[in-house]
Amino acid sequence: MSEGHVRKLVSSVDIRARIKACEKLAEAFGKVVKSVLVGEEPRLIIPKRTLSNTIYDKERGLLLLGPSTFERNFLDVRESKKFMQTLLMAKIIYEALMNNEYPTIRDLFYRGKHSIRYRDHKGRIEEENTWDEQKESDAVLRDIEVYVNLLREEMLILSKEKGKVVGDMRIKSGDDIIDLSKMGHGAYAIEPTPDLIEFIDVNAEFVLVVEKDAVFQQLHRAGFWRKYKAILITSAGQPDRATRRFVRRLNEELRLPIYILTDADPYGWYIYSVFKIGSITLSYESERLATPKAKFLGVSMTDIFGDEKKKPYLSETERRNFIIRAKKADIKRAQELLNYEWFKTEKWVKEINVFLAKQSKLEIEALTGKGLYFLTDTYIPTKIQTQDFIE
Amino acid sequence: MSIAEKFRSISPSEFFYRNKEIAGFANPARALYQSVRELVENALDATDAHGILPDISIAIERDYHKPNVYRIAVKDNGIGVPENYIPDAFGKVLYSSKYVLRQTRGLFGLGAKMVILYGQITVGEPAEITSATINSKNIYMYKLQIDIRENKPIIIERMLWPNKTGWHGTIVRVAIEGDWGKAKQKVLEYIRRTAIVTPYANIILKTPDGEIKVYKRATDKIPPPPRETKPHPHGVDIEMLKTMISETKAQALVEFLAEEFQGVGKVIAERFIKTYGFDPNANPKALSKDDLERLVKALREFDEFRKPRADHLSPLGAELIKIGLNTILKPEFVDAITRKPVVYEGHPLIVEVGVAYGGAIEPLEEPQLLRFANKIPLLYDEKTDVAWKVVSENIDWSYYGLSFPAPIAILVHICGTKIPYKGLGKESIAEVPVIEKEIEEGVRAVARSLKLYLTRKRKEEEALRKAITIIKYIPEVANAMTIFVKTNPEHIDKEFLELKLFELVKSKFSDAVRNISSLKDIAIPVE
Repeated sequence: MSEGHVRKLVSSVDIRARIKACEKLAEAFGKVVKSVLVGEEPRLIIPKRTLSNTIYDKERGLLLLGPSTFERNFLDVRESKKFMQTLLMAKIIYEALMNNEYPTIRDLFYRGKHSIRYRDHKGRIEEENTWDEQKESDAVLRDIEVYVNLLREEMLILSKEKGKVVGDMRIKSGDDIIDLSKMGHGAYAIEPTPDLIEFIDVNAEFVLVVEKDAVFQQLHRAGFWRKYKAILITSAGQPDRATRRFVRRLNEELRLPIYILTDADPYGWYIYSVFKIGSITLSYESERLATPKAKFLGVSMTDIFGDEKKKPYLSETERRNFIIRAKKADIKRAQELLNYEWFKTEKWVKEINVFLAKQSKLEIEALTGKGLYFLTDTYIPTKIQTQDFIE
Repeated sequence: MSIAEKFRSISPSEFFYRNKEIAGFANPARALYQSVRELVENALDATDAHGILPDISIAIERDYHKPNVYRIAVKDNGIGVPENYIPDAFGKVLYSSKYVLRQTRGLFGLGAKMVILYGQITVGEPAEITSATINSKNIYMYKLQIDIRENKPIIIERMLWPNKTGWHGTIVRVAIEGDWGKAKQKVLEYIRRTAIVTPYANIILKTPDGEIKVYKRATDKIPPPPRETKPHPHGVDIEMLKTMISETKAQALVEFLAEEFQGVGKVIAERFIKTYGFDPNANPKALSKDDLERLVKALREFDEFRKPRADHLSPLGAELIKIGLNTILKPEFVDAITRKPVVYEGHPLIVEVGVAYGGAIEPLEEPQLLRFANKIPLLYDEKTDVAWKVVSENIDWSYYGLSFPAPIAILVHICGTKIPYKGLGKESIAEVPVIEKEIEEGVRAVARSLKLYLTRKRKEEEALRKAITIIKYIPEVANAMTIFVKTNPEHIDKEFLELKLFELVKSKFSDAVRNISSLKDIAIPVE
């Protein structure tokens, strides 16, 4: 296949991303090869991806990777296999970049999985796999991301698309212009490499992110985004990296306020916090994925129970019908959240304490149970207008 | 009454004829085994006891015309039997006229004569003895039988021919009734075990199945031959005392004691006599039965005699045991110890213990026990032997880092002028406290040495295992590295990177990987 032909099929942003990723990989791993050639022990100095090395940057409102590193030395028995796996993974990624491929993490797992045969210390011939489970290859991929300082998206590694978006907005994906207001009943699936998306124009005043896909669809069909000039997004549960990056770019580049709507329970709160400040396991990407200015719109405990300043959105009878009793795991999770630095704000402590006192949780669907248009025309607009949200 | 004593009342030949099971000839299988044993032990006594490196060949052939008849021929390169002694040595069951003691192999002191007698009873062919002494001008051959009632040899044929090659030694050919099928395992095991304790011998065995087993000499070192010694007073019994008195030239009791016993000098003899109130000048031959009984009791009781000496015994020595175990069992580890002499009922006794571990030894649920008494393998009645009690009950092997099944063999050799056998079969050693303690101490000593070896080996194995954990990934790592290698200014290929990585591992694990010469010893390509 001629080069000219390849250029037609592959977008130019892709090619630029490839060249950059290849250069960074070659530089980072070239160092290790060089040390072997001069007779030094081959080692990788990798930032630690642990809770203890996760730092909450209060000023910027981000979870960041701390300064601790660990050494992965090939000559250290405990690390030699992981060293081999890391080098193997780097090689596969590099080759995929050079060959214009878009592997998924599952592809990387299969490409690297093969047998190694050796004679053990008792002279028996044994076999072992480079890796047996995808969690092993996923782990070294994360190591490479922090070691090379490149996110997987930047290395053109794809993951399953999960997030969806609709709204009055045009974007360029690859070499195509896509109108997000003309998606019919469907929605645009946010591509795994959102950095390669170009924003063309937008006509919206805010972004509403809903946890539940079903609620997203109801709002979409009811014409919510058109009526209130919103970009409507769903993460369909825990947000993937692409959705988080896309939301971040909407906030950072288009200055759109971000409102997040989840269930009223610790799980929903954590989804919000992942959007806002990043996740513990992936804190190294927060710098690029987190949206510190994202606001928690609801559903909050005061929406359910009210307080001295506010009337509850639910009547006594509705509460009795819609509230679900919190499970032990919910209580435990809520207590854990209280310990996280980034939940130690006045409003969050209050929110969590009400939950612990009432031991009650509520799904967003409870509000649509009260009537879909209660949600679209009363609850959401009122909350935004009165700035009744938690940051 | 001892067997030899019983021989006095009837013709010894006749006694044997009536009591053949006592001497180990109870059935055709046992008789075949016993015959091989007696002849081989004679052959060894004729060689190593005289400082000659033994060359022994044993041939057992089946007679195809007579059922259950086997021809055994045992040839040695020993000192030979003087021509005029041949008929009596092989054709007359002798009383032992000597009361001097010596560590010998023969269990019953009857040896080849029993075999000949048994052959004569069961098959009836004359035995054929060929022999030449050292420097003998001729080689002599006798065909003879034993007159059972008269206990004397009947010479059937006598030949002689010039000894042109300067050969010396003895060949005994005898036909007996046997059962090779049932005796086979024991005979093979007997020869194998004999080879373990005589690594300085060449032993060739030809079986009726046409198999040839060769045990080649592994060393030229022979243990010092056992020497004769006088009895110690603590080890004497009334029969022995009677024999000694009948043969002594001493006229007075004090003289008899000082001259005929070890550990007794003139001064001690006088003090002994004074202590017990005997008459120093009494003629020992005139002592009454009561006097004799009193004398034996006193001799065994008196504690001022010098301790029995052990320098006339012939232990194998740790070195030979190790060579023997190494040669025959082909283990990975071997050690042995010769314990200091101890006294058992007035007789000196030395216990030796060897251990062999790993290598070609088959792992079993229990230690393999190789028992020997005066260099003779003990094959029967293992579970009643004191050595078995020690290795199976007294020793906690886990303390020595061993868990069963384990590939371990324990050799126990007891040598002395009196061995406390259990029962008439003389195949197991009785639970005598002093012997049990000696065996246990010996086993513990070699087990400690085994423990050290195992600990060291495990450490080395662990280091090697670690090194291999790294080495096995080298091809994979080198392969990935070639992608990132800067090809300028010179081209670097995968093999070069592999070599560099291998050198790094080698320098880190220096000792543990000394046996790995190439990466290809460990990393094997997957086709």
